[in-house]
Amino acid sequence: MSTTRRNLLAAPAILSVLGAMCARDAFAQAAPVRGGTLIYLEQQTYTNLYPPAGGFYPNGGVLNQITDKLTYQNPQTLEIEPWIAESWTVSADATEYVFRIRPGVTFSDGTPLNAEAVARNFDTFGLGNRELRHPVSEVITNYLRSEVIDPLTVRFHFRAPSPGFLQGTSVIGSGLVSLRTLALPFDQLGDATKIIGSGPFVVARQVLGRELVLNARQDYAWGPKQHPHQGRALLDTIRIIVSGEDSVRIGALLSGQAHVIRQIQAYDEGRVQSRGFQIFAPSTRGVNNSVVFRPDNPLVADIRVRQALRYATNAQEIVDTLFSPNYPRATSIIASTAQGHVNLADRLTYDPRQAVRLLEEAGWTLGPQGVRQKDGRELVLTAYESPPQPRNKDTLQLVAQQWARVGVRLNVLAGDAGSRVVDSLDPAKTPVAPAMVGRADPDVIRSQYHPLTRNALLQTGGVSQRVQSFNDARLNGLLDAIASEPDRAKRLALVGDVQRYVLDQAYVIPIFEEPQVFAAAPRLRGFGFEAVGRPSFYGAWLAAR
Amino acid sequence: MSGANPVAGVVPVRLPPLGLTLAWAVVGLVLAWAVVPGLFAWQDPLQGIAGRQLEAPSLEHPLGTDGLGRDMLARVIHGARESLLGAFLAVSVGLVFGTTLGLLAGARGGIVDAAVMRLVDTLLAIPSLLLSLSVIILLGFGSINAAIAVGFVSVAHFARLSRSEVLRVRRAEYVEAAFGSGGRFLAVLWRHVLPNALTSVLALAALQFGSAILALSTLGFLGYGAPPPTPEWGLLIAEGRDFLATAWWLTCTPGVVVLAVVLSAERISRSLGARRT
Amino acid sequence: MSRHLAQRLGQSLLVLLAAFTVAFALLQALPGDAVLIKFLDSTMGLTADQIAELRIAYGADAPLWQQYLHTLGNFLSGEFGYSIRAGVPVARLLAENIPPTLLLASLAFGVASLLAILLAVLSQLGFGWVRGFARSMPPFFVAVPVFWLGIMLIQVFSFQLGLVSVIAPEPWEELILPVLTLAVPISAPLAQVLIRNIDTVLNEPFVAVARAKGATHAWVLWRHVARNALPSTLTMAGVLFGELLGGAVVTETVFGLSGLGGLTQQAVANQDVAVLQAIVVLSAVAFVAISLAVDLLLPLLDPRLAVRPAGAA
Repeated sequence: MSTTRRNLLAAPAILSVLGAMCARDAFAQAAPVRGGTLIYLEQQTYTNLYPPAGGFYPNGGVLNQITDKLTYQNPQTLEIEPWIAESWTVSADATEYVFRIRPGVTFSDGTPLNAEAVARNFDTFGLGNRELRHPVSEVITNYLRSEVIDPLTVRFHFRAPSPGFLQGTSVIGSGLVSLRTLALPFDQLGDATKIIGSGPFVVARQVLGRELVLNARQDYAWGPKQHPHQGRALLDTIRIIVSGEDSVRIGALLSGQAHVIRQIQAYDEGRVQSRGFQIFAPSTRGVNNSVVFRPDNPLVADIRVRQALRYATNAQEIVDTLFSPNYPRATSIIASTAQGHVNLADRLTYDPRQAVRLLEEAGWTLGPQGVRQKDGRELVLTAYESPPQPRNKDTLQLVAQQWARVGVRLNVLAGDAGSRVVDSLDPAKTPVAPAMVGRADPDVIRSQYHPLTRNALLQTGGVSQRVQSFNDARLNGLLDAIASEPDRAKRLALVGDVQRYVLDQAYVIPIFEEPQVFAAAPRLRGFGFEAVGRPSFYGAWLAAR
Repeated sequence: MSGANPVAGVVPVRLPPLGLTLAWAVVGLVLAWAVVPGLFAWQDPLQGIAGRQLEAPSLEHPLGTDGLGRDMLARVIHGARESLLGAFLAVSVGLVFGTTLGLLAGARGGIVDAAVMRLVDTLLAIPSLLLSLSVIILLGFGSINAAIAVGFVSVAHFARLSRSEVLRVRRAEYVEAAFGSGGRFLAVLWRHVLPNALTSVLALAALQFGSAILALSTLGFLGYGAPPPTPEWGLLIAEGRDFLATAWWLTCTPGVVVLAVVLSAERISRSLGARRT
Repeated sequence: MSRHLAQRLGQSLLVLLAAFTVAFALLQALPGDAVLIKFLDSTMGLTADQIAELRIAYGADAPLWQQYLHTLGNFLSGEFGYSIRAGVPVARLLAENIPPTLLLASLAFGVASLLAILLAVLSQLGFGWVRGFARSMPPFFVAVPVFWLGIMLIQVFSFQLGLVSVIAPEPWEELILPVLTLAVPISAPLAQVLIRNIDTVLNEPFVAVARAKGATHAWVLWRHVARNALPSTLTMAGVLFGELLGGAVVTETVFGLSGLGGLTQQAVANQDVAVLQAIVVLSAVAFVAISLAVDLLLPLLDPRLAVRPAGAA
């Protein structure tokens, strides 16, 4: 179901690709060209290349080229397929996983990628390393220990069922690295040259904050089994260059100075396509781009206020004004391409009259300035913009406009990173916050809302020390159940329950399904993505001009 | 920060007074924008019309609409208040603190002079952009705070200039005489030194006015501008640049307005400076 | 003379210490710190305990005066600390980023000087409209935001005309547009000072005398103006240096160049205090050195100044 939806969305992009191909009919059918240098423009520089930090897109964009994963999640079917693991078995209660490693795989420093290496990687990702300050990966839950059975077989033990682990071995945060890399302290992993993987590309040189050059690994012969391309990568070299200015990236692409750019704004899509360039908008398949409430703050502790603001939010208007068909309007808290998605669009209707009624009912009456008041307090909320999200400042401004119509003021702050981090952990200062996260497994919901992980709602028991009392045991119980329910059908049912519960409580106002939008030159072929939109240049090649 | 150099002072030129008239006209117009924006702009600068975003200039929207469907002309006109106020505040901060320091140093001399001038050196030695960014982060984001940050950086320039002016005036015979005839320090300072030193300080202030607008714009570019939806010229230029490929007028029209105001300020500053010689 | 020199040196050291202290105080007062910004990021998935441990490991929890003395001692022994953001020693970041900025800044300064001289010469020519044009250029140059100029130059010369490449350029073309972007605003004050000096000198009585004796216009300009303009331009050098550094922040951000400017911008955004402290000290040293050099050079260039002490800040 999810794939049909995705294909429909990608239709314009595919059409434009087809158009570009038709124009070059005969040549387009030619065999892939080997060699050449590809120039890829990133918006931001990578920060840390410890594999579990790959959730940050610039980090993931690098890690996806230089590391391999135990398994491969097919981006079309979302099925888990063999990669470094040839085969695997999972115990019925999902507390034991056995992986059989493909023979002959080596890291680029020459050391073997065997059961021992896999075991050490997941010990680090699953348990963290206090001494070297390696944090625990957010995609692995209930990890206990590893057991090397023979040089090519490894078994993982879990304290409790961990049904998400198989998919967890395929994600960007589970890239396998050499033991030499794992022996380095966390804060040295910002240096790309120290990240030794087994991937199709290796780091050749870097200029910190400016450029990273990757070369194809000549002896690479262990791509995902079902990947259309096999053997070494087709490109010789990738130059990942940081270019923060939107107008410079677009101009560079259109003038032929770059081949691929990440993060192109919706308003530029038409211009790019009209000139025969390709747009790729892979879905991030995770938690939708949303506005979340921090119910610990008394202003939004009343469910009626939250519901009112949900009714006052016109997501369709935001999508129509700021985005393109590549950004579908949200129909639940997770994307329609995510596993277990339930269409709850009927609970997300825009109804300002209902909003006003609920606010009046909750005791908030219109004050002289047009802002609602109760017991001498004004209903004024504050949110920080989140720069990595597409047009987040504009999105929040539109939300503020819409809320103003029912007498609620939303201040949108563009703070420095320090204030943002500190204030965002304080529900008293930020009763509202923008949020999103991408991952193609139901665990993603837990990642986003559980107090022990991202804690989007700011419950007690998380990193924040400022939360007074808010804690929703029912929600957390559901989230924990998702993370440890071994039966797939039951697990997806739980995912549905969480979606309904979160929307019934009006904790979240989902707005749109966030894609990662890339634009590429017409001559780029074979450009692919992993399941949640990180680019893969393994099968990419540049056709003759 | 964005290039205007205050110590450069002024160039006496024999341009026709037409330029000066025009400069005052520009300043007068934007002042009127700032005081009664409703007379010039009939559309809402803050509330956009959804679905009418990024329209090209037309009769209805003479400067087009921005990414949220807001009328650009209204935003430019309403932006005058925030921008002029910001620039005025920035210059005031520099003028008041800088001139006080400079007067004190120049008039007292000795240890006070040495101490003040080392302080000024210290302010100059720290990169100005870093200084103003830190001040903004400390005070919090907002147009007033950004203006204070910009003004803070210019304190050193005003202090240097006013000190050298005071030294020049002090050597004048009538001031020596006033001091000699037992005039109280502050009284002489107020009656004789300040008025004479003030012309070139005011010329610098007019010049700083233009560069303050530019500095505020640079802060917006680096992401330290006023929070939305405030229309402020520097921010309009900085935000509009992202639309360059699709709607170039969004960054160019506020740019032209700023250019006109800065050029006018410079022209007026020159005429103020010229009156002295 | 040597006593004066010692006094100036002492003052310079005082300014350096003051700059270090002011910077330290400012940076400590900022909300949050680099450890929080980097590790509180939810994708890192650290617990509150782990973050507290990290803060201790980075010394972010020690009393302020201890941190101050510790940092000061480190700087005196040439130890700049560790960049939390980039995960590499600050010394390495500086070593990588200083040379490109130095090249950019000195080329820009050179081009700016040429531009200023050109405008100054044009401002003295006979044709009225050329004079007017040359004289209105400096204020015009000052009135254009640097980032805007950079973006426009890229659009026109690289993307529309295709003359130079800005993404992955050849070494020779890499700096053309950035140098131009940075040179334009720097040239404005230089040109203004030059024009003002020329005008002043040409009004002096001795010029009329020289003219009466049959000297050509060009000779007068060369002989008298060059000698008078140089000192006043030199006194601006220290301030211009600050302008260059500020301009480099913007220019390097627009063009995506690596250098001190880009490093500063990143460090401010992430409150990478060790990097910022090093940048402040470095630029303060440069500023103080330039001021000192100018003070010592001026009397050599202009004998009239030799008698009076050059302490005029």
